[in-house]
Amino acid sequence: MTETSLLAEIRQAVSESLDRLDGVIALRRSGTGVAPHLFQRGDDLSELVIEPKYPLMTVVSRLHKRFPEIRLGVVARGCDERAYVEMAKRNQIDPQRLTIIGFACTAEEAQECYCSQPYPQKLVVGQPAPAGPVNPLVAEYDALSREERFEFWRRQFVKCIKCYGCRNICPECFCEACAMEDAAWVEPGLLAPPFPTFHLIRAMHMASRCVACRECERTCPAHIPLTVLYDLMRRDMEALLGYVPGADIDAEPPLSVKLDKVPLRQDVGV
Amino acid sequence: MVEFEPRIVAFMCNWCSYAGADNAGVARLPSPPNILPIRVMCSGRVSPEMVLRAFRAGADGVLVMGCHLGDCHYDSGNHRTLKRMPLLRNLLGYVGINPERLRLVWVSASEGPRFAQVTTEFTEKIRQLGPLSAEVSHD
Repeated sequence: MTETSLLAEIRQAVSESLDRLDGVIALRRSGTGVAPHLFQRGDDLSELVIEPKYPLMTVVSRLHKRFPEIRLGVVARGCDERAYVEMAKRNQIDPQRLTIIGFACTAEEAQECYCSQPYPQKLVVGQPAPAGPVNPLVAEYDALSREERFEFWRRQFVKCIKCYGCRNICPECFCEACAMEDAAWVEPGLLAPPFPTFHLIRAMHMASRCVACRECERTCPAHIPLTVLYDLMRRDMEALLGYVPGADIDAEPPLSVKLDKVPLRQDVGV
Repeated sequence: MVEFEPRIVAFMCNWCSYAGADNAGVARLPSPPNILPIRVMCSGRVSPEMVLRAFRAGADGVLVMGCHLGDCHYDSGNHRTLKRMPLLRNLLGYVGINPERLRLVWVSASEGPRFAQVTTEFTEKIRQLGPLSAEVSHD
């Protein structure tokens, strides 16, 4: 399917769904760029675009909270849908009031994102592209020595300007009080302290939530390969607790339920 | 050169491990003075942030102690600890900090000897590993 016919089909699907929804969230051409937009009946759908990739579920969440009756649709990629799954089970989005108009990413996009599932479960438009490769840094990570690992991340974390962009763009970062802004856990006014608390806290918080949308990495002005760390945590989460964030809306967040419900799958030597 | 003395922060739950430490004391069982005890109501209260802050503040090792599975005063607080700590250990390993510096153990209120043994073993382990500052420094 060509890019243009994909877009045409998405616009058609949005147009049809607008008959029974209050609005559909998608990207809209705006000046020289694009911006999230709530398309409503009568709007010019020729302005609807799908690039560049942007996490729209955050916008859905805000509108759901602000307008408790509103019934929305959203134009979503595979990662958007996974983000939705993790947000819905944490009460950030109401599944009863959301229709997902899912479309498949291209094979090139899947490669670029190292995406293991570049299409939503509810696929409305497009054909599923093959999964992208595993990030080579992740694939080769286990072979690194302790010293190499430390040096790699030291060189990365030293670039951090603590702009909080990784957190702000993340669809799964919705806590009202952020631990990374708490002076008890992250020293204010210090960049790249020798012990990387800032990034380790975020990596721990991402372990059961990260849906590998790569937005944090894309947004990082210092080009820190954050998702290498998060991919490793995702890998461990699956091995230890059999949990894949974004895969199953009925699977409870594993870290906050009893072992009887989600047991350990590995001997952790305790 | 002054010999390295490990600094170890030990989070102990109020209901089992802290009482276990008391039990060791009452029984006059020696345990290393390197341990800085921090009493928490439940091992499930020990967040990753608290462990990381202990390391940041200069701990060379962190022990998290709680009730044995099935004995938690809050039924399943230690279930969370058991899921969380292995992930945190792995994460430390990924950024080049020896995961052995963090250990989770269950110590019940009657296990004074076990408390003495665990703290002694862990202190010796950290003594072998050396100071954390050497591991996270660079030039």
